[in-house]
Amino acid sequence: RWTGERVGRGSLRGSSGKAATSPAENYHLARRRTLQVVVSALLTECGFESAEKAAVETLTEMMQSYITEIGRCAKAYCEHTARSVPTLADTVVTLIEMGFNADTLPVYAKRSQRMVITAPPVTNAPVTPKALSAGQKRTHPAYIPSHFPEFPDPHTYIKTPTFREPVSDYQVVREKAASQKRDVERALTRFMAKTGETQSLFKDDITAFPLIAAQPSSIPYLSALLPSELELQTLEETDSSEQDDQTDSENDDPGGDKENSMLPPSGVPSAKASEENVIDNPYLRPVKKPKVRRKK
Amino acid sequence: MPLTGSDSYYCAAAQQNYVKCKNKDMESPAQIIGYVELTIFPTVVNLNRIKLNSKQCRIYRVRVNELEAPFIYNDPTLEVCHHESKQRNLNYFSSAYTAAVSAVDPDAGHGELVIKVPPELWKQGDDLKVLKVYIEFSLDQPKGGLHFVVPDVEGSMAERGAHVFSFGYQNSTRFWFPCVDSYSELCTWKLEFTVDASMVAVSCGDLVETIYTHDMRKKTYHYVLPIPTAAPNISLAVGPFEILVDPYMHEVTHFCLPQLLPLLKHSMSYLHEIFEFYEEILTCRYPYSCFKTVFVDEAYVQLSSYASMSIFSTNLLHSATIIDQTPLTRRCLAQALAQQFFDLKQADEWVLKGISGYIYGLYLKKTFGVNEYRHWIKEELDKIVEYELKMGGVLLHPTFTGGKEKDNPTPHLHFSIKHPHTLSWEYFKMFQCKAHLVMRLIENRISMEFMLQVFNKLLSLASTASSQKYQSHMWSQMLLSTHAFLKSISNVSGKDIGPLIKQWVDQSSVVKFFGSFAFNRKRNVLELEIRQDYTSSGTQKYVGPIKVTVQELDGSFNHTLQIEENSLKHDIPCHSKSRRNKKKKIPLMNGEEVDMDLSAMDADSPLLWIRIDPDMSILRKVEFEQADFMWQYQLRYERDVVAQEEAISALEKFPTPASRLALTDILEQEQCFYKVRMQACFCLAKIANSMVSTWQGPPAMKSLFTRMFCCKSCPNIVKTNNFISFQSYFLQKTMPVAMALLRDVHNLCPKDVLNFILDLIKYNDNRKNKFSDNYYRADLIEALTNSLTPAISISNEVRTVDNLNADVRLILEEITRFLNMEKLLPSFRNTITVRCLSAIRQLQRNGHIPSDASLFKSYAEYGHFVDVRVAALEALVDYTRVERSSAELQWLLNMVQNDPAHYVRHKILGMLSKNPPFTKTTDSALCNEALVDQLWKLMNSGTSHDWRLRCDAVNLYYTLFGLTRPSCLPLPELGLVLNLKEKKAVLNPTIKPELEVGPVVDTPASIGIHGFNTMEDEDIDMETVHDSQAFIHQHLHLLERPSTPGTHTHTSACMHARTHAHHLVTHTPVLFVLLGKEPPSVEQSLLSMPATPVPSFSKETSSLASKHAGEHGHHHHHHHHEHKKKKKKHKHKHKHKHKHESKDKEKDRERDNSHAYSNSPASGRSLRSPSMSD
Repeated sequence: RWTGERVGRGSLRGSSGKAATSPAENYHLARRRTLQVVVSALLTECGFESAEKAAVETLTEMMQSYITEIGRCAKAYCEHTARSVPTLADTVVTLIEMGFNADTLPVYAKRSQRMVITAPPVTNAPVTPKALSAGQKRTHPAYIPSHFPEFPDPHTYIKTPTFREPVSDYQVVREKAASQKRDVERALTRFMAKTGETQSLFKDDITAFPLIAAQPSSIPYLSALLPSELELQTLEETDSSEQDDQTDSENDDPGGDKENSMLPPSGVPSAKASEENVIDNPYLRPVKKPKVRRKK
Repeated sequence: MPLTGSDSYYCAAAQQNYVKCKNKDMESPAQIIGYVELTIFPTVVNLNRIKLNSKQCRIYRVRVNELEAPFIYNDPTLEVCHHESKQRNLNYFSSAYTAAVSAVDPDAGHGELVIKVPPELWKQGDDLKVLKVYIEFSLDQPKGGLHFVVPDVEGSMAERGAHVFSFGYQNSTRFWFPCVDSYSELCTWKLEFTVDASMVAVSCGDLVETIYTHDMRKKTYHYVLPIPTAAPNISLAVGPFEILVDPYMHEVTHFCLPQLLPLLKHSMSYLHEIFEFYEEILTCRYPYSCFKTVFVDEAYVQLSSYASMSIFSTNLLHSATIIDQTPLTRRCLAQALAQQFFDLKQADEWVLKGISGYIYGLYLKKTFGVNEYRHWIKEELDKIVEYELKMGGVLLHPTFTGGKEKDNPTPHLHFSIKHPHTLSWEYFKMFQCKAHLVMRLIENRISMEFMLQVFNKLLSLASTASSQKYQSHMWSQMLLSTHAFLKSISNVSGKDIGPLIKQWVDQSSVVKFFGSFAFNRKRNVLELEIRQDYTSSGTQKYVGPIKVTVQELDGSFNHTLQIEENSLKHDIPCHSKSRRNKKKKIPLMNGEEVDMDLSAMDADSPLLWIRIDPDMSILRKVEFEQADFMWQYQLRYERDVVAQEEAISALEKFPTPASRLALTDILEQEQCFYKVRMQACFCLAKIANSMVSTWQGPPAMKSLFTRMFCCKSCPNIVKTNNFISFQSYFLQKTMPVAMALLRDVHNLCPKDVLNFILDLIKYNDNRKNKFSDNYYRADLIEALTNSLTPAISISNEVRTVDNLNADVRLILEEITRFLNMEKLLPSFRNTITVRCLSAIRQLQRNGHIPSDASLFKSYAEYGHFVDVRVAALEALVDYTRVERSSAELQWLLNMVQNDPAHYVRHKILGMLSKNPPFTKTTDSALCNEALVDQLWKLMNSGTSHDWRLRCDAVNLYYTLFGLTRPSCLPLPELGLVLNLKEKKAVLNPTIKPELEVGPVVDTPASIGIHGFNTMEDEDIDMETVHDSQAFIHQHLHLLERPSTPGTHTHTSACMHARTHAHHLVTHTPVLFVLLGKEPPSVEQSLLSMPATPVPSFSKETSSLASKHAGEHGHHHHHHHHEHKKKKKKHKHKHKHKHKHESKDKEKDRERDNSHAYSNSPASGRSLRSPSMSD
């Protein structure tokens, strides 16, 4: 009910311009119309001959809120007492709580001048659109009592693979890796060439094979000698995998020559550093302060 | 008995005066202020002058024992031929240059700086008391000797990585402080360097202490070198170095530029092994108490060794991922260390270069294996043989005893070998190469144990000598002469190696053998014929034993034959009867027994293969003829890599299926040495090209490569890189390069080969590899380059993108991508860029893309990595030659003059000489007067700061114009020269140059004669005469002096009043060369006013002479004017002199017309006057 109202309200706003479309909307619109008829009847009963649309609309809204509040409250009372279906008592308490004298209700209901309103046209109760059904709903396992809520729709917890099985054909993989790499490189270099200065091999068409212009650097040996970050990265990767292999294979030879020959550029064991502190090398000695008498 | 420098005590307070203010950085960051103190033990009485070497230093004051001393500073090598000579002939230049170098040669007792000992001290000199010479000097923006690298970036000097280091070709210490710049003057040293606090100063000897200056902004490094050391072995490097103490040997310290420490750690991690190796084989400790390695940018050479330190190029450093650089760097380190043990005490250069090269070879043998060693020896041997056959002999131990020009031991060369500073760089390298090869020959003769014993003895002698306090000539024991070396050899081994020395050391040239054979079935004898070519240049006759190895069916047999005067044929009895037991295994030299398929061989002969001089115990080239199947057997079954390599080169001439099979088998054989397999690749490509019409199956090597390196499942895709096995790595690198050389019947690279290479590039995947693939990719680019063939050109059509060949488009696409990627992810040493540049040049040369130099020019600019620059310059040199472009030639020559990097300058000249735009025999529009002038100026005065560069310029001049007057110069006005005084007509010597094949044509004398004929030229040519004669006079003058009593080394002569002669060179060259008498009083008067020599001459002749000398003189510009003024007055006298002069010259010419350098000032005799060489 609660949700129904909400949807109704929303659709009302939305429907001002557009024709209602879905059956659910139709259903709610019909209800609302009935409510409007009720308000109009009450107004007539009270002696009004006409009313502005906005006033009717406001009153309808108030009525709807009031009914909704009764429903919500009644349900709360019922749930409070650990039941699931509200009883008459719940409703009565609700009405009392809301400041309504419940005893007047039967009298009011039997009043003579009341207008009889035709029942709302029987529209099919909106079929809740089937939520995305993905797979079979799971039943409760044996240790969960059946009154517990059911499992939500499977799509909320089931992992659905959206990719295809990876291609494992070696040739295709290599092919793809190669062309991907090439495409990336080409795109990157083209981009760099487009955005920066270029040199050209042809005079007639300088865009044909654009070469990124050579830029002298002030310390050229650094970039030429130091491994690039990418290389260092791949080196680390291969190194770690390598080391895994190694620990597997040569458990018996922990301090192999490996250490010396393949010393990774960054990794000098700290033990060595501390050892160096002990070394007496003239270049490591602190610089002496000048002696006063040495003054010339 | 050494006179100067003995226990001389040097103390330099050199300041790296880095100007702090940023604005001024550009102006003068490079400045040094210092002083030198020398302690001199006179060995003669009357020591009144001291001559020292000094170049480009500004000297402020000189004091001797606290007394101000007058001095004269003159450097004749600044400008070799003074004034505008019209001659432009290299003979003339070479002799003048030699004379100039001789004139300041410290070994002959000369120097640029002449100090007059104050008269107050003469008395003291008589008592042979110690003299202390104190010199204050400064250096501002030195062009040579010290190199300042100051990167142009923001930040302090230390942050910018600014550094400075000393460099030089041979003895070049005089460039940065005054000293006796000779290898034979030993002394102990005390060195002090004050530098900015952020810098480290590394120098020779032990660092005693480092002290801040009072403002705490600078610090002073104090070094002490107690082992007597010659000045040329002193060096210095200052920079914000990172310091690494060797983890294995704490007395060894390594220095590198900021940020390179990780590379340094890796690269130095095996240095201790080299140390251990040398100390073990020599059974001798490293002579110094510490060792330092410094890695600097823009290094002059890859490695240079000095006392207890070596300076390397920073480009030798590498990370663990680099394969190819590793052995190269190790070799460099090993070489540097070998030189530490031997190279530094110099006397007879070949001995030291030889020994250090030899022990370096031993190290190679131990570390890289016997195969590598033998391969190296063969390579070196081939190199020296090729050089000598092309350029003429290389003489290890020249003797200039005769003193006559006639005795010039190397008349075939366009430079003098008397001084290291006149040697061409290439010759110098070949000299080193030959020296160690000869050392190996000696080892062959006396065995390695004896050899090492000799070295040990020499080293221990030197070390005992050095530990002594200075006593007369004890220290001279540290110097190693040929004589001492030979004596030591004969003492240790008891063998006489005299003939060997005579053949290879005292004599230049190599031996050229031609061998062929016939098998005499009846006598079962191998008839071997060995002929020699000893008439062409660079060859000599060999007489003596030669080893011949014959592989027969029954085994391998060594025979020693005697090569004698007239016997060409040698009969060698065979051991095996021709094929008897078909099934039997065949024993090889090394004892191995193998099965062979003998079906290919001649059924009548038991011979499988024959080798002449298999041990390379003669410096020779052998051209041997044997049948193709014999070469094939030799390739397959001989286990010596040298034999295999010889077989491969021989098989190139036999393009048959059998050769193909043999080569393919070798390629596949994993036990085979990888360099042999690499060589086989190229041979296979050549054979395939010769067999193109009959070739069966896929292109050569393709299936082999597929089998070895491609995936099993998909043979067109190469495996992901894994370079764990270096042998297959090298093979994988080489095969595509060789395959790309294949050509089909249309002489194009086959389509499937090109596609194959493109696929290799496409599928190259290095992600799982722990080594860098930059060299591999570079080789793939080289393969692309090799696949290029000339474009079909439609007469002079302009190359455009549209008419680009489809294959070339693919290639270009790859190259473009590679080159662009390199900007984003630079490879080690920019190998990719290097190859791309040469590929682009190749595309241009083959006419696929328009020829254009601008790309190369931008890469050649300063600021790119040096390898890239050199590659770009090489392309430019090639462009210059092909397009005959004078603009590019000018551009290159400009760079030679102005580039900050000395190595690049040297390289440009070297490449221009190797790939010259034109030569003396070809005509070219480029060859014009302006170019001659420019080059002349370059070698005459433009390169005075760098000996090596000057020699390079001389080489280039020689390549372009030859020895004689360049043909493009206009002929002098008259063909006939009238010598009025002589009343003779002489054919103008400049006209007939090409007539004489011999090296000499123009001598200074003839120049003088020529010039006589136009009034306009007269003065100038007179100058020429005077100039050269000044030197002659100087030497003759030396001759006249009485020999110094009690001295036996040339050095002693140096200090002994001989300095006077020097004065004559600079200011007062006396004209009467052939009279040789000197006026006794001149000396005194000259001395009194060293700074402003306008002396009152006692004799008119000498005064007159002085005028002219002043004319070609030098920095003392104020003299200049005076001379000009007085010149006119004396003109007539000149003429008079000249007559004498020319008359004598004429005589000389008659006597020995064809001889090189006759009358040239470079007379050997004048140098070694009796008084000196007593």
